[in-house]
Amino acid sequence: MRLQFDRGTIVLTDPPKDLDLAEAPGVLWDPRVQAYRAPASKYPALKRWLLRSRAGFQDIPEPVSPTQELWSEVDLRPYQEAALSAWELGQRRGVVALPTGSGKTRLALAAMHRTRLSALCLVPTRVLLDQWLREIGALYRGPVGCYGDGVRQWAPLTIATFESAYRHMDQLGDRFELVIVDEVHHFGGGLRDETLEMTIADARLGLTATPTRDPGVTARLAELVGATVFELAIADLAGGFLASFDSITLNLDLTPEERRAYTSLAALFTSAHAEFRQLAPDGSWADFTHHAARTPEGRRALSAWRQMRRLLAFTHAKRRALESLLVRHRHSRVLIFTADNETAYAIAREHLVMPLTCDISRPERDDVLERFRHGDLRTLVSARVLNEGLDVPDADVAVVVGGALGEREHVQRVGRLLRPSDGKRVTVYELVTRNSIEVGQARRRRQGLVVRRSAQL
Amino acid sequence: MSADLLSYSVAGTLAVPHFLGEHDHPWLRVLLEEHERFIGRPQRELEARLRDPLPCESPPRKLRLAIQVLGRLRPSERKSAVPPRRARAHVFGEAARTSAPSQAILSTVAASLGVSLEDLQDSLFADLPGERLVAAPAQPLSAVELALRCNLAVVQGMLFRATIVRIEVEGNTRVLVRHAKWRGLICAVGERSGSASATVELSGPFALFRNTRLYGRALGELVPLLAWCPRFRLRAECVFHGRRLTLQLETGDPIFPSTAPRRYDSLLEEHFAREFRRLAPAWDVIREPEPIAATGTLIFPDFAVQHRSDPTRRWLLEIVGFWTPDYVARKLALYRSVHVSSLILCIDEGRNCAEADLPSGARVIRYRRRVDAAAVLRVIETTPCSS
Repeated sequence: MRLQFDRGTIVLTDPPKDLDLAEAPGVLWDPRVQAYRAPASKYPALKRWLLRSRAGFQDIPEPVSPTQELWSEVDLRPYQEAALSAWELGQRRGVVALPTGSGKTRLALAAMHRTRLSALCLVPTRVLLDQWLREIGALYRGPVGCYGDGVRQWAPLTIATFESAYRHMDQLGDRFELVIVDEVHHFGGGLRDETLEMTIADARLGLTATPTRDPGVTARLAELVGATVFELAIADLAGGFLASFDSITLNLDLTPEERRAYTSLAALFTSAHAEFRQLAPDGSWADFTHHAARTPEGRRALSAWRQMRRLLAFTHAKRRALESLLVRHRHSRVLIFTADNETAYAIAREHLVMPLTCDISRPERDDVLERFRHGDLRTLVSARVLNEGLDVPDADVAVVVGGALGEREHVQRVGRLLRPSDGKRVTVYELVTRNSIEVGQARRRRQGLVVRRSAQL
Repeated sequence: MSADLLSYSVAGTLAVPHFLGEHDHPWLRVLLEEHERFIGRPQRELEARLRDPLPCESPPRKLRLAIQVLGRLRPSERKSAVPPRRARAHVFGEAARTSAPSQAILSTVAASLGVSLEDLQDSLFADLPGERLVAAPAQPLSAVELALRCNLAVVQGMLFRATIVRIEVEGNTRVLVRHAKWRGLICAVGERSGSASATVELSGPFALFRNTRLYGRALGELVPLLAWCPRFRLRAECVFHGRRLTLQLETGDPIFPSTAPRRYDSLLEEHFAREFRRLAPAWDVIREPEPIAATGTLIFPDFAVQHRSDPTRRWLLEIVGFWTPDYVARKLALYRSVHVSSLILCIDEGRNCAEADLPSGARVIRYRRRVDAAAVLRVIETTPCSS
């Protein structure tokens, strides 16, 4: 019998007559090619089953290992050591949840170094791809592979963007023993989950600052990567391994004109939304938009909702508050976070602050971050680009003008500033419009910062 | 394409796409005229205009689809006195350095770059998508073409949600199968049905385990190729909002075609066909004759040559060119397995094929650089046809 990796699956040909492969884990008969087939992720279990069954088979070639001598020593802080031990105890499978700035990438590097396995690291964006390549290059002197941003280069240690891995796992799936997933909360919801099902890697490490609380997603993630084996929140590390921070909420008013416009838009939206709530008390926001798009009244309500959001994104009071904060902190490194790119550009034009958005090319973004590090730029404004993973050292003031994605986004944003340095104290301003939908949004997003959860083993 | 742009109705287990047709041409023309009006103006102005309804009746979902399709085709250009990246580096760098008011900073930078204040402000974000200028398309787009392109987008959007596609097809099968294999799909050949010269079932390896969108794009790419098949019937199993529905397409559906597939795979084949036609006016050269079914796959002979006045004198001709040894071995094994009578194999001398590898009964003509059309003619004129 022969095992072959075939585009994200394992094909078993010429099985012995006395072996019932229908019993083997994950194996199905594929009438299209007249052979048995299993998802590549079932390979470790399948191999164990075949060995137990004493079936002779020609195995797939072993992945090429990295050269251990080319690694430098990776030192860890005590909580990182504890997290790595928890993962080892979990049979090298599982999710580690640590706040932004607490050194998740370093933990991943230690996992690669200590296990000596060939490893594929998946990261959500091209910006993070570069960041990981830099960090791994500082500790591993051998070649490092890269999939993403137009590059397709394999090595026993490879970094790939989620998108590129999804497209190329049919060729990469048999080349790694360890898969590390940065910002692992992007998986488990169905989108691109196949990436993790099409690889034979038995060892799997997921990293996140914002673990999912959805039971369905958690269960699926446990299947794909493993259960959460270690978790610390910002509150566990602030003041020690993370910088201390003050959170200041500035409650702002709308101008009379803005209030009038807001009230009429809110009335349009609220009546349609209340009607929907009566029909479907447990309906989600997606259900509501789906339902509303069918009728002219519903579409008007959705349009009103968008206009409300646009109105609140950068109100007159927010403009004035931001202006005075920028003057007050003109000698600090400031990050401004907005709900959308439109507001980011408005702020950029008004206050001559460099915007960092998805529209700005990668080389320019790199250049901007470099200038920010050196102090040639002191303030950046961004809607989403700074949300996740990007290492921006030494910022000490954040101004949250608006947000669209709730608790997870807020934790990631605040995390940008918490990388520790001597005597550093961070100030986070939130600009919130009184008597508007922003009040509830602000309350909900702050919960992610204060919830304290114990480490679990 | 997002699901809310896919316009279809459900009839039992069928998903029936709402194609744009002649009745949509009037509002599509208005849309194209609106676009024309904005040539030379920033894209964001056009986008803002298109958020409001057109001055004529237009189905909202189809309109949004047409706007998106048009947006993909719409070229844009950038005009700026200073390269925007340079303008940003100077302006924001200067702003970080001084505490002067914004206008003063802009004036200083404009003077240092030798441009006016307005030009500097216009240049600052001139490269961003919304600020780029709407440009005239390279070739004028008609309402008819836009409708066909929208239909293609709808069908591809639906196939993006497909897990398996079955196509009964007559002619041009080779292009379909080749494309599918190149995109990593499994092509299983089914029983022929009716007059179809082939029935192929296309799906990805992983589709065995669950509904996946992994192969949706590859499956969608087959649609414009189908337009070049004289006859086809497609059935795709799709999943919409967790519900399994079947999409059916067939010859004559109003879908934008791909560019015409190449008639010949190589100059070698093209030269042979031309030379043979010149030498043998009594014979027809048929490019891509009907495929031969062989253990779950199809063989596509390069040519059939058939006598004009006696169709029973028909030979299949395969040119075995300079492909990889594996490919040649697989091809010869397939021919051996199906025992085709009246087969001529033209084999590149450089391939060094052993006699034992060749299918029994096949006439073999070795060639170097060019297939000798006269040699082929000699074989078919002097050998009785066994079919």
